[in-house]
Amino acid sequence: MLNMTNISKVYRSEMVQTHALRDFNLQVNEGEFIAVTGPSGSGKTTFLNIAGMLETYTGGTYELDGINVGKLTDNGRAELRNQKIGFIFQGFNLIPDLNLYENVEVPLRYRGIKTAERKRRIERCLEQVGLGARAKHVPAQLSGGQQQRVAIARALAGEPRFLLADEPTGNLDSLMARQVMELLESINKDGATIIMVTHDPELARRAQRNIQVVDGQICDFKLYQGGAEQQRATAGA
Amino acid sequence: MSELRPIFNALMRGKTGALLLIMQVAVTLAIVSNAAFIINDRLTYLHQETGLQDQNLFRFNLYTFGKQVDIRQQQEVDETLLRNIPGVADAVVINQVPLSGSGDSTSFNLKPSPQQSQSERAAFFMADEHLLNTLGVKLEEGRNFTAADVVYSQYYDKNAAVALVTRQFIDGLFPAGDGLGQTMYLGDIPLKIIGIVAPMKGPWLKDEKPDNVVLIPQVEGVAFKRVLVRTEAGRRDEVMQQVASVLLASESERVVSNIKGVDELLATYNSQDKLMSNMLLVLICVLLLVTALGISGLALFNVGRRTRQIGTRRALGAKKSDILRYFLLENSLVSISGMILGSILALAMSDVLMRHYSLPRLDNWFILYSLCGIYLMGMLAVYWPALRAAQIAPSIATRNV
Repeated sequence: MLNMTNISKVYRSEMVQTHALRDFNLQVNEGEFIAVTGPSGSGKTTFLNIAGMLETYTGGTYELDGINVGKLTDNGRAELRNQKIGFIFQGFNLIPDLNLYENVEVPLRYRGIKTAERKRRIERCLEQVGLGARAKHVPAQLSGGQQQRVAIARALAGEPRFLLADEPTGNLDSLMARQVMELLESINKDGATIIMVTHDPELARRAQRNIQVVDGQICDFKLYQGGAEQQRATAGA
Repeated sequence: MSELRPIFNALMRGKTGALLLIMQVAVTLAIVSNAAFIINDRLTYLHQETGLQDQNLFRFNLYTFGKQVDIRQQQEVDETLLRNIPGVADAVVINQVPLSGSGDSTSFNLKPSPQQSQSERAAFFMADEHLLNTLGVKLEEGRNFTAADVVYSQYYDKNAAVALVTRQFIDGLFPAGDGLGQTMYLGDIPLKIIGIVAPMKGPWLKDEKPDNVVLIPQVEGVAFKRVLVRTEAGRRDEVMQQVASVLLASESERVVSNIKGVDELLATYNSQDKLMSNMLLVLICVLLLVTALGISGLALFNVGRRTRQIGTRRALGAKKSDILRYFLLENSLVSISGMILGSILALAMSDVLMRHYSLPRLDNWFILYSLCGIYLMGMLAVYWPALRAAQIAPSIATRNV
């Protein structure tokens, strides 16, 4: 479903070349819930950006649902992103001038979905995250946890095959973080594939697979199945 | 159109900047449309056909102070001398100079005063039978003056009995079109209309009826005279230089002054209008520039303020063209709101100008032209900031900016 082979990403400035990712290999199967962990500056966000086609990569091959992402134009990537990927950001990234309904509507408008269908999906997703009654509120009227739930509703409204979450609980207190995590788990149970970048080992343990990134490479991954932990030491194995 | 709703809602939630810009667009539209209309009005006036050969005509003043000089006899000598200068087409002593901005007009009536009757106001030129030829105006119907028609008067002790008139004048006084050969009255003095001349202007282009002109074959014997000379094409300067010496050689006890081309007189007369038109043009340019900078500035500020939002929109599937369209639509909404308000303001401003400065009513087309111009300018002003917004990378969404 998501297949990265020897992906590299180099940031170049006049003086310095920084290898953010190198020989990055990863295969993600449908329905998986993967946690990506690693220290700051290890390349987690770069990986997420490339997986979500927010950035291009320097070398290697990346296929999403059989489509070679490297061959797509900027417009092609925007379309694929809109159709297949839902994003959940650490800072929620809601648009403060729009109310909750309009925020959730944003990706649906870019897909050209008709008004009635948009309305149906927005109402369903806001209900799903428990905010159906507050559709006319603006983000500033909500708590952090509620805002993140709106962001999740926005990600779900497009019915994406992938959810990419960048430290979705990073800005939340532990109670709200737990609620958001439970919501993500329930979404995963409904069939969505989730890749979540996190610093929190507790949250990482709740995923099915934990990939640890160090210096732009996968150095370790663990499988968690019903509390039993299997560890493999080979990168990309 | 449904795309407009969230943009409108977003504008309404952060409305201070947008409202200020709407006001600016409205004021700009009101001023630009009125100023453009006034400029057009002035240009139409400045470029109207005079019916005269301005560049071949010149005038001068002749003041005779010698007590022994026979004014009437000297006038005939002077006219003959002038007409004999090589390059002169014709010359006359005349009561006022066309296109000079200075002169007299009076009302001509169908019945002698004090009887009430239809009347028509006109500028009137008085000179001998050379008048029409000196003006260089063609006779369209009837006949020209002859020497026998000319009356030499002293303080209007005698009066001419015939007149030539322009078509516009005779149509005003005789709407039935049967004026030629009829008699009109200047006070109680009868004047038979013996001919109709081609269109020509009187002394004032700004007059309500600048084409109403009456020519009368009468010469006043006074010491101060105005003389009008028409030369052959391209020879005016040469003749102007000779005039004073030729006349003073004949009789030295007089002063020749203010030798000026009629086109120069007209230019002086028009200079205020040209200055006003140029100032209004500068005002329009400055206003448009300030408004364009305002639109561009607000758009740039919004792009800066919404960098993360734009990155998020891109991450959620917006193409570059979607971002570009968003800013163009947002600006359209602001501009159109300003234009609706501005159209009302423009009409109100026109009303005030009409009442206080006697200007004609603003032509609605000028609002439409200004509207299109300002809209286009707004789109151009917002295009560069919008293009910058479209270049914002979607990865901004995941950065902690």
